[in-house]
Amino acid sequence: MVADTKSIPAISRSNFARTWLNRLGPLLGLILVIAVFAILIGTPERYLSLKNIRTVLAQTVIVAIGAIGMTMIIISGGIDLSVGSAIALTGVITALGINAGFSPTVALCAGILVGCFVGLMNGLAITRLRVVPFIATLGMLGVARGVAKGIAGSQTVNMPETWVNNLLLTVPRPEWLLVAPGVWIAIALAVIAAIVLRNTVFGRRAFALGSNEAAARACGIATDRLKIYIYALAGLLFGLAGVMQMSRLRQGDPTVAAGLELDIIAAVVIGGGSLKGGEGSIFGSMIGALIMAFLRNGCQQVGWPNYIQEIIIGALIVIAVAVDRWRSSRGALA
Amino acid sequence: MRKIISILMMLATIAALSCNRSGSKTGKKKLTIAVIPKGTSHEFWKSIHAGSIKAARELSAPSEEVQLIWKGPLREDDREQQIQVVEGFTSQGVDGMVLAPLDDRALARPVEEAKSAGVPTVIIDSAIQSNSIVSFVATDNRQGGVLAADRLGELLGGKGKVILLRYAEGSASTMEREEGFLSEIKQKFPGIELISTDQYAGATRDTAKRSSENLLNRFGDEVQGIFTPNESSTAGMLSALQDIGKAGKVMFVGFDTTQMFIDALRARQLHGIVVQNPFNMGYLGVRTLIESLQGKTVEKRIDTGVTMITPDNLDAAETQALLHPPLDQYLK
Repeated sequence: MVADTKSIPAISRSNFARTWLNRLGPLLGLILVIAVFAILIGTPERYLSLKNIRTVLAQTVIVAIGAIGMTMIIISGGIDLSVGSAIALTGVITALGINAGFSPTVALCAGILVGCFVGLMNGLAITRLRVVPFIATLGMLGVARGVAKGIAGSQTVNMPETWVNNLLLTVPRPEWLLVAPGVWIAIALAVIAAIVLRNTVFGRRAFALGSNEAAARACGIATDRLKIYIYALAGLLFGLAGVMQMSRLRQGDPTVAAGLELDIIAAVVIGGGSLKGGEGSIFGSMIGALIMAFLRNGCQQVGWPNYIQEIIIGALIVIAVAVDRWRSSRGALA
Repeated sequence: MRKIISILMMLATIAALSCNRSGSKTGKKKLTIAVIPKGTSHEFWKSIHAGSIKAARELSAPSEEVQLIWKGPLREDDREQQIQVVEGFTSQGVDGMVLAPLDDRALARPVEEAKSAGVPTVIIDSAIQSNSIVSFVATDNRQGGVLAADRLGELLGGKGKVILLRYAEGSASTMEREEGFLSEIKQKFPGIELISTDQYAGATRDTAKRSSENLLNRFGDEVQGIFTPNESSTAGMLSALQDIGKAGKVMFVGFDTTQMFIDALRARQLHGIVVQNPFNMGYLGVRTLIESLQGKTVEKRIDTGVTMITPDNLDAAETQALLHPPLDQYLK
């Protein structure tokens, strides 16, 4: 195996401690954000009420599910800019499917599979056409958005009421679920993805690919095939995020989620992912998504205008990455 | 790690300092109203903002202060972002919301959830498919189309060939304007022939200009009158007419207002524009909500008025007041 101290579970005890400190960094950030806003708003009991928390969680689901897929891609040294468009496309497909009289389950699966197909196309363009991921997925950003608008006839696709609409209700039905069903789905997926990334050959190879592609290939990993798998698997998740988006809007909207890929990438990066590859964790990315959602919710409740919110989130991304760089440069010296 | 904490602390301090003034005063009852526009940068929304502040100031009593929160979606015209804002205010527990929904269906769920959480909503500008609202306060778009038809019919003396360039598929407000225009022309001016009514301008000035050019290539020699139902379609048609030197030779009635249209009215390249009254819309939206919160009965549908502006009444005092609402007085 390639020498890769960052990704392979630390053996020595001090290393182990540092790894956990790194992991917990974003979590401390989240707790700090929540604490700061609870104080600023002045009514912490309302900010931390079940009502507000489940609203924020329901609002995080789309970015969170997207971030699970994006974490895999970023760990493997890639990037996907087409997520927002893929979400719009899969939402439109699902809405059209339900409209065409298919059962919601079938339509939902169709949407998710289209997401997978978009990812597969990205993977093929990157490996077979030798186009760098940034460009290949930038192209797909346009293609998927265009296809979404085309098949939707440049309009929103309205559909009859089905159970799909209830996936992300802020007050879940039935209420003993505590939070929306979509939140539970996102949590389950995050746990599965974390285990896959950490404990399976596939996951370890993804880290190896991102750390040093040439070395990974020299070690006998079929890097091209692995990349295609990763983009297709992430595509499945983006498809599910699209279904969630449709559930929230109760319609397939071909113009929705423009620029959402940047939120998703930001979540991964705030959570400790490195755009150079080889680093990142699902847990961190989930925390990153939550930090942004709580920030937004908090800024609104304090009564700050949108521009302050944008400045804060922008600054936060840079700060988080700067801290990450500083940490890893210290790690390299140690 | 230590750094990130110290930086966040710094941010928190800045925030705490900048936020001191909004600290709650004790002993006074406060009515918190959130106004949620579709976007925040356009002139139209600034007028709505100013109008809603006017209502809040007027209706603030010594015993009950009205606090207004103005918050649009983070990305303009993004439905998901607007939903998040509505949900945020719902869980924050404001006393009521005034919302200009970006979509008549997508915003229905959050508005219904708000109602069941005890937060009533007044809808302004565009309709919503839900009965869970206090009132719908908006322009009578159909009436706007009728005004345009009357003006164009009068300009043409009741006969001639007319083009309607539609705005975009699926836009409810402009469709009502178009339908109002068409039915009035057919009913009141049988001598007018509609030579094209099935073309769409598309969402932007750029697409509007392109489809205007295509239309003028085809009908440019015979067309005598044109109606366009919103700002971007009017702007696109106007610059297409100017490019081929036909501006001023064809009777042209548009909708909405910008400085470009005022100049064109003065140059008599535009012969009329139908304008809405966003200032009044913001004012009546907030006023209706507060009255309903105070237990008064309010109308389910409130019209905020449309006006025809022509080169002749452009300089009249009331036209100028409509075109230039006192933004500075309220937004400074």
